[in-house]
Amino acid sequence: MAAAKQKYDVLVIGGGHNGLVNAAYLARAGKKVLVLERRHVLGGAACTEEVFPGFHFSVCSYVVSLLRPEIIRDLDLPRHGLEILPLDGTFTPMPDGNYLWRVNDHGKTHREIARHSKLDAEAYDEFGKAMQAMCRFVKPILGMVPPDPTTLSPRELMKLLFIGRRFQGLPSEDKYNQVQLMTMSAIDFLDQWFETDVLKATMSASGIIGTFLGVRSPGSAYVLLHHYMGEIDGAFRSWGFARGGTGAISNAIAAAAREAGAEIRTQTPIGKILVKSGKARGVVLVNGDEIQAEVVSSSVDPRQTFVNLMEAGLLPSEFLEEVRRYKFRGSSGKVNLALDALPNFKCLPGPGAHLRGAISVSPSVEYMERAYDDAKYGNFSRRPYVDMVIPTLTDPSVAPPGKHILSCFVQYAPYKLRPGLNWDDQREAFGNNVIDTIAEYAPNIRDIILHKQVLTPLDLEREWGLSEGNIFQGELSLEQLFFLRPVPGYAQFRTPIRNLYLCGSATHPGGGIMGAPGRLAALEILKDRKGAA
Amino acid sequence: MPGARDVVVIGAGHNGLVAAFYLAQAGYKPLVLERRPQAGGAAITEEFHPGFRSSILAHAAGPIRADVVRDMQLERHGLKLITPDVAVVSFSPDGRVLTLYQDLKKSTEEIARFSPKDATRYAEFRQSLAKVSQVIGKALTLIPPSIDQPSKRDLWDMLQTGRAIRRLGKKDMYRLLRWGPMAVADLVSEYFDTELLRATLASRGIFGTFLGPWSAGSSLVLLIRAAADRHPAGAACFAEGGMGAITEAMAAAAQQAGAEIRTGVDVIEISVGNGAAHGVVLSNGEQIHAKAIVSNADPKRTLLKLVDPIHLAPNFVAKLEHYRMPGTVAKVNLALSGLPDFVALHGNTEALQGRIHIGPEIDYLERAFDEAKYGNFSREPYLEIAIPSLTDPSLAPPGKHVMSIYMQYAPYKLRDSDWETQRVALGDTVVRILAQYAPNLPQLILHHQIITPQDLEDVYGLTGGHIFHGELALDQFFTMRPLLDWARYSTPIANLFLCGSGTHPGTGLTGGSGANAANQILQQLKKK
Repeated sequence: MAAAKQKYDVLVIGGGHNGLVNAAYLARAGKKVLVLERRHVLGGAACTEEVFPGFHFSVCSYVVSLLRPEIIRDLDLPRHGLEILPLDGTFTPMPDGNYLWRVNDHGKTHREIARHSKLDAEAYDEFGKAMQAMCRFVKPILGMVPPDPTTLSPRELMKLLFIGRRFQGLPSEDKYNQVQLMTMSAIDFLDQWFETDVLKATMSASGIIGTFLGVRSPGSAYVLLHHYMGEIDGAFRSWGFARGGTGAISNAIAAAAREAGAEIRTQTPIGKILVKSGKARGVVLVNGDEIQAEVVSSSVDPRQTFVNLMEAGLLPSEFLEEVRRYKFRGSSGKVNLALDALPNFKCLPGPGAHLRGAISVSPSVEYMERAYDDAKYGNFSRRPYVDMVIPTLTDPSVAPPGKHILSCFVQYAPYKLRPGLNWDDQREAFGNNVIDTIAEYAPNIRDIILHKQVLTPLDLEREWGLSEGNIFQGELSLEQLFFLRPVPGYAQFRTPIRNLYLCGSATHPGGGIMGAPGRLAALEILKDRKGAA
Repeated sequence: MPGARDVVVIGAGHNGLVAAFYLAQAGYKPLVLERRPQAGGAAITEEFHPGFRSSILAHAAGPIRADVVRDMQLERHGLKLITPDVAVVSFSPDGRVLTLYQDLKKSTEEIARFSPKDATRYAEFRQSLAKVSQVIGKALTLIPPSIDQPSKRDLWDMLQTGRAIRRLGKKDMYRLLRWGPMAVADLVSEYFDTELLRATLASRGIFGTFLGPWSAGSSLVLLIRAAADRHPAGAACFAEGGMGAITEAMAAAAQQAGAEIRTGVDVIEISVGNGAAHGVVLSNGEQIHAKAIVSNADPKRTLLKLVDPIHLAPNFVAKLEHYRMPGTVAKVNLALSGLPDFVALHGNTEALQGRIHIGPEIDYLERAFDEAKYGNFSREPYLEIAIPSLTDPSLAPPGKHVMSIYMQYAPYKLRDSDWETQRVALGDTVVRILAQYAPNLPQLILHHQIITPQDLEDVYGLTGGHIFHGELALDQFFTMRPLLDWARYSTPIANLFLCGSGTHPGTGLTGGSGANAANQILQQLKKK
């Protein structure tokens, strides 16, 4: 058949945002690129779908902030239709009728926090400055290919030296914070700055998102920093929505890739990666078609790539062991609601600006920690941490006039439920439990729901191919970061199979709509091809 | 000057005695001041019931660092260490027992009864652990380098460590990098399937800390402890006459070297003038002047209580206040009219000669930890036990025994209660749990001594009741113990030094901190 004759320079597995960024950079470098996406829509977990008539859900990922500015620039994404609308502030309702409402307006936030604690209001500014310093230190590291600390090659040692020198250069106060951020728990870290429980609880939340850590687990402070990155390049780069939903980001990247000459096919599931004599040669589709390529660049996670898409026996057993060891442990679910009206919060009734930002169910540190305890023993949190947004208030185009969308990120929902339970039976209960949780703060929620979409970690795995439903393609825990991500010795986007590369969130610097892995992998591939050509 | 000394050491704990010894050996005349009627700090033997003597707090040695034992000639000073064949015996509610021996072969045979695969993996684990912890062991003997201005010697040390790490080879090098920050529960399940084995080994990563087996970083604690003792589960290292015999030998060695030890004298203040310490004030008003003051007390007690914080920069004080040392351990000592009958052993009392572990599952240990997070002591605690009278009959009247029990978790701060009201409940809990395995225990109890975290603070001067003078966590280790760049045994106050467990390496009963500190302090004093 004709299809069998096709030949490409690079074949990208998966049309998620990293796969598309990867393809765009390679195509711009003149490579003949083909992107293969299993689903009917592009974007992977960064997609917009009309799940119910007129309601366009950002089904999985729902806010953006980490997208690397150099990528926005290089790919000229605004011209390709990317428009980011700011998401202003975080509103935390409390059971006692009080609330904490932080906004981008410095003065307002200062007064609001002072309402809870004058000391914390002062500390909040100091904290912001400290975190900025930390981000300034970490950002270039996010943009670099991780060194291999076990080789003596000058190039690798230079990288380590670079990091060492930068660390040396920090004022000792920043050194101190940096070390703590890399090692401490979010709460231990925040305890040093703040006394207000609800403030610490809400801030610590970003230290657990997408991980199987509790706010008191060492290592969660780093994840806090990982999520802080976005909040610092001034207002525009702060957390925001993409007009038209998160999928608009992927579509803009796809447009840039196509313009550069990349070919993108959806609904094209891959059966196996073709490997001949230790070299990747292309892929075989589920329908049997064979597509040849010089290079295969996989944006799906290591388990998908090395276990599901590859014949057994092609990889060194030690490497496979490490892949099996790599921790996914999905810990979150998603509930998307189509609403007839706006939720009405007891502690701050009526519509208002507080609904335009993130709405965080994180009333106390103990609340967060107990939610984690449930998950440790294989139950979804009886009272989970819920991060809600109402995109329709900022971008009415995604729902019918007067209607709204409530997007709820829910943690914890452990992929592995305790023996005897399975997610297909628990899905309904899980969804209702989330609605009950919200109802404790906004009782009218039950009466205004038109449609409900519940995604469990199992659904994320089945539909989006995220192993164990981990939204970051693997936990952001210290032993799985930087030169240890995803597998020690293979953190530089290359794999034991020649011409096979990884370019997804499972590689440095990890998850979130950041695009950095796709870009870095593309640059490494081009470097190698220069050698090859 | 009246009563002028060259060096005063505050506290005659084992680290204080080790430091005093090395200082005396170098020609100084250290005066060691101990608050309690006897030297030894947390390594003491006391008669807690007529005829019954027990290691009141620590009941097993780290063990003591080999070079310290050698230099101080502790054997010559009467120390007889006892290391029974059985390292640890671990009980499961389903009646199964796991015994780990000093001897690898016997251990693997035992493990094979549970899982042949685990038996082979155990040997591999032991080997990797030995290699990796050997490198850590090197780091433990180092004086942490200065971050801001590394000295020539720092760079040399780092180079040496770097070399040692490289010698590990790629595979173990990555293990070292990966393991440190891992949760110990993950580490053990990477190797083993048998839950009882997993839990027994994992407990080493949480002992004495405010961590559960699922807490990231608990593997580091395991590695640090394995650096002192290569046995994967930790050997049982006792001393004839209890732990007090160790510090008695140390005291004798220090005195012979020229140190003077005064007990029953309470230092209430370190007097500081123009940024330098120049003496101590005793509770009886006596003032003792000294060129250098070395504190074996924990960092908070030394710098926030004995020193008037007015002499310290506010931000240093703030940081030290955040140094985490909330205790998690309580101690129960039992005087028994006979040997408790652990049913599962069917009379094989030899198995009880080592350490006894109660904590059959990872989740059991984690649940015990959960309660502590919310300010309650564990109703189903993790217990670390020894019956030293089995290997050292001198501790109890003929046919009778002493049982020494570490109970974890017992959080220093209880939610809406205090330790005085909970003391009895704590003791009952421990006995209730043990009775599940040794039903006749309650009838054997002649007397019990319950030591709560509050007692550890009030009686033994451990701030927060923390037996290690501060959490062993990634952010309080090596160059960060007790504070980043204050890990070199000196303090912001000239002539005031630290030598206790609150300094690197600071684990258990090893003498490491004292020896490192003396080494560094001698260099400092030479400069003058």
